[in-house]
Amino acid sequence: MVNGITLGGVYALIAVGYTMVYGVIQLINFAHGEIYMLGAFLAYTMVTVFGLPFLAAFVITLLICSCFGIILDFIAYRPLRKAPRLAALITAIGMSIFLQNLALMIWGSQIKAYPRDVLPEIFFQAAWNLGDVTLSWLQVFILLITVISMAILHIVIHRTRIGTAMRAVSQDKTTAALMGIGVNRVISFTFAVGSAMGAMAGILVGLYYNAIFPTMGYIAGIKAFAAAVLGGIGSVPGAMLGGGVLGIAEVMGAGYISSEYRDGISYAVMIAVILFKPSGLIGRPIGEKA
Amino acid sequence: MKPVLKATRLSKSFGGLSALKEVTLEAESGRIVGIIGPNGAGKTTLFNCLSGLYHPTQGQILFLDRAIVPEVPEAKAKHIRWCALIFLVLGLTWLPLFWSFLLPNALFKVELIVAGIFILVMRLLVVRGLARRQMWAWSLMFLFLLSDLFFAAWWLSVPASQLHLAGTPIRLGHIPWLWSIGAGPLGIYLMIQLSMPRVRQIYGFRPSPDAICQMGMARTFQNIRLFYNLSVLDNVKIGCHPRMDANVLGSLLRTRTQREEEALTEKKALEWLRFVGLEKRAVDLAGTLAYGEQRRLEIARALASEPTLLLLDEPAAGMNPRESSRLVQLILDIRGRGITVLMIEHDMRVMMSLADYIYVLDYGRLIAEGTPDEIRNNPRVIEAYLGGSIAHVDA
Amino acid sequence: MDVRSLGKNPRLLLMALLLLAILLPWLPMGGSTNYILRILTTAILYMILAMGLNIVPGFTGLLDLGYVGFYGIGAYTSGLLAIHYDMSLWLILPLAAINGAIWGILLGAPTLRLTGDYFAIVTFGFSELVVLVIRNELWLTRGPMGLPGISPPAIFGHPLTRDWEFYYLILILLLIVLVVVTRLQDSRVGRAWFAIREDETAAQCCGVNLIRYKVTAFAISASIGAMAGAFYAKWFKFIHPDMFKFWESILILCLIVFGGMGSIVGTMLGALILIPLSEVLRAVLPQGLFSARYLIYGLVLVLMMRWRPEGLIPFEWAQARKALLSKERLGL
Repeated sequence: MVNGITLGGVYALIAVGYTMVYGVIQLINFAHGEIYMLGAFLAYTMVTVFGLPFLAAFVITLLICSCFGIILDFIAYRPLRKAPRLAALITAIGMSIFLQNLALMIWGSQIKAYPRDVLPEIFFQAAWNLGDVTLSWLQVFILLITVISMAILHIVIHRTRIGTAMRAVSQDKTTAALMGIGVNRVISFTFAVGSAMGAMAGILVGLYYNAIFPTMGYIAGIKAFAAAVLGGIGSVPGAMLGGGVLGIAEVMGAGYISSEYRDGISYAVMIAVILFKPSGLIGRPIGEKA
Repeated sequence: MKPVLKATRLSKSFGGLSALKEVTLEAESGRIVGIIGPNGAGKTTLFNCLSGLYHPTQGQILFLDRAIVPEVPEAKAKHIRWCALIFLVLGLTWLPLFWSFLLPNALFKVELIVAGIFILVMRLLVVRGLARRQMWAWSLMFLFLLSDLFFAAWWLSVPASQLHLAGTPIRLGHIPWLWSIGAGPLGIYLMIQLSMPRVRQIYGFRPSPDAICQMGMARTFQNIRLFYNLSVLDNVKIGCHPRMDANVLGSLLRTRTQREEEALTEKKALEWLRFVGLEKRAVDLAGTLAYGEQRRLEIARALASEPTLLLLDEPAAGMNPRESSRLVQLILDIRGRGITVLMIEHDMRVMMSLADYIYVLDYGRLIAEGTPDEIRNNPRVIEAYLGGSIAHVDA
Repeated sequence: MDVRSLGKNPRLLLMALLLLAILLPWLPMGGSTNYILRILTTAILYMILAMGLNIVPGFTGLLDLGYVGFYGIGAYTSGLLAIHYDMSLWLILPLAAINGAIWGILLGAPTLRLTGDYFAIVTFGFSELVVLVIRNELWLTRGPMGLPGISPPAIFGHPLTRDWEFYYLILILLLIVLVVVTRLQDSRVGRAWFAIREDETAAQCCGVNLIRYKVTAFAISASIGAMAGAFYAKWFKFIHPDMFKFWESILILCLIVFGGMGSIVGTMLGALILIPLSEVLRAVLPQGLFSARYLIYGLVLVLMMRWRPEGLIPFEWAQARKALLSKERLGL
């Protein structure tokens, strides 16, 4: 159960990234999963190869991945703003494949794990015992970070100028532009924040499961997408809720039904949601025709 | 004579914005009926409701005596909602089930309780969705009903001591029997009710635009929607689609019927092109046509489906006077073939010379209707147009 | 480029190409004839796959990311039938096609009313599910151990073992698929598909039932993919779940994007150029880089969309040429 919540938190982080980008440019950024993967790899590399302390690596990776998100938008998506959906979709997939294989080339396909001595020792100790449920400090750390980021995000979206600009752009791009909002800048900002969250999730997962490999991106990406859809694509609270639900459902399902079809649960949930209630639990009503 | 089209108290709102408010109009057979109004008055929304692209929030549409948008029996909808609510309440009799999970030898207590609460919340949402006439609520309700009945049947057939759910022994006692007597019949009744066509219509199952086209209503679009990368002839051939029969097998095997039908379609398509004056351009791509020609092509495509009613959305937009007089003649020819025409138009010269009857919309409401002369002199109409084009048109 | 000058006499061109294709194994190519034949057989196999996939995004405008699922279904159908019932290829092919079509309908019917993005994801999910099932249902597919020992196809009892025999076989298969696709394209069904591709809403208002035609396209695409899979199983004589991963779908997508979505000639050209190219890469690059060759395919997708989204042979050209050729027939 606790595993479920932890996993859920991670999915929520990634899902939020998806949903934010979809909100502003109505495009599912397939490469988002790759940023998650890159986050994991970069942090790992910094800790093991460059010998940086963990927290420093964490922060630097976040910064790098944010920039990366902006660059991604700039070279791949911005030129296609006016193009038909199919073209943008194909580009997104192409970028995703490209990045995955790039990682494959750079880091090789073997699973990487953090050697024990580079991480703060405290992570592995139990923080709390509740009956037969144990909570390690690592899980506490993950949960804390997730909650704090969500809180910060919420504040940014609802209390700051740039947040309001984001909401404006996601509702009506043209009008927002007419009102003097620099649409492209807002979009870049959205990408930056979304990517940071995705990268954060990546680092955390790499830490938690202690396994980092190039294809982790697209699997997690699909599940996070399922979470975003479940919660209602375009809605940030929805993504958070969806992430939580999916995490719990997956862990429970893997435990009781079958662990091989673990990934299949996300697909099944996603397909069910898309078929029955495309607007998800919270999201805006989405017509099936444009 | 019965009207070809009759729309009664049609309303359409998008979220908070109401685009159409209680619009009632009808089109008699063989007439040219016009719709005018300032921009944003809801004219194209009206067309979209008629051709089935939008579902009106209220009102009824009868086309050739068939209800495209039926009257919603409010009483029936309310009845269903109450039944669903009662069913939900009765479902709470399963609550003691959850007590089994709190027993000491139960596995996964927390998870199952969470799952239980989740499903309860979903059911509440479904009842709310039913109240709002949402299609997804219909599907989910159906699913819940099916699953409830399934579980009830299962738990009735297995002896009480052997019941297990996710590894937990369940003590159901007499619940399955209570259920089958009390809520079972209600569940079955609800399922039957939900499957009935009239009820399904409440929840959004309506004829799709292509079915409506098949019935005999064709349309053009305000911003021309041609198949630009296809040839002019192909565009019209697609228009012939509803009047053809060929399916995959026939097309694959090139049976004699299929080949004859193709040849016939080609002939008909060329004839329609000749009718609008575009036969010389048959093999060019639609995207290469001039604007006025594109409009005529769209009309040819609509005519190819041999409609009884033709909806024209601003056919004269962007045309110079010579082109518009040709258009007027074309539409008169269309009427000459017995086709009823419903036309949105801003060009008053065209409208006044063609229309037998005019409806005037403003802010989604019908503000006037009558013959062209009546409309010309109607103060409300003039006001709506701010003393614009109507006042300047000579008789 | 003036479309009118292209293919003045398509029949002649076609005959010439066909002749060349048939004579190919007999042309002197040094000692590497078999190697080249194998590459060409692979290329033609991918041509068939590409033509199958082309029907969905190319003709109806929806992105199918799970095509490899049908390929896998076809391959396993063929493999299992060959191993358990010792069925001949000639019986397997139609059975695999029907199986593919059934799954196409099952998957398509509920999902084809979704918008493009969701549909893409759902098809992707489907192909992943297929691979998961293949991998895990050991009782059926032997999972990760693969399915070895599939007997080669046989004509009148003579088993086909030589490269040129397979080459001719796939050539015949290609011709069949070509005829199917071309005939469908030039009929009421094909026009309905193109209408959906160009403008769904307008197509609906012209009386085209979207769901019916989308599902049909999907089913036919699936059955072609399954047939290709069936051939593959019999040719390779060994299949394994890893051969049907998501990457293959991307590769096939790349072929049609590169060649031109919607134009049959374009997709064939795309396959003909890119597949041998990947062989060249295999020879040139060291092993590590080669497994990352999808990097290049991904890049191709991005670049094509950026600079030439219509592909080598754009859909409009194909349509314009077709229209032009019918000019005389129409008496214009």
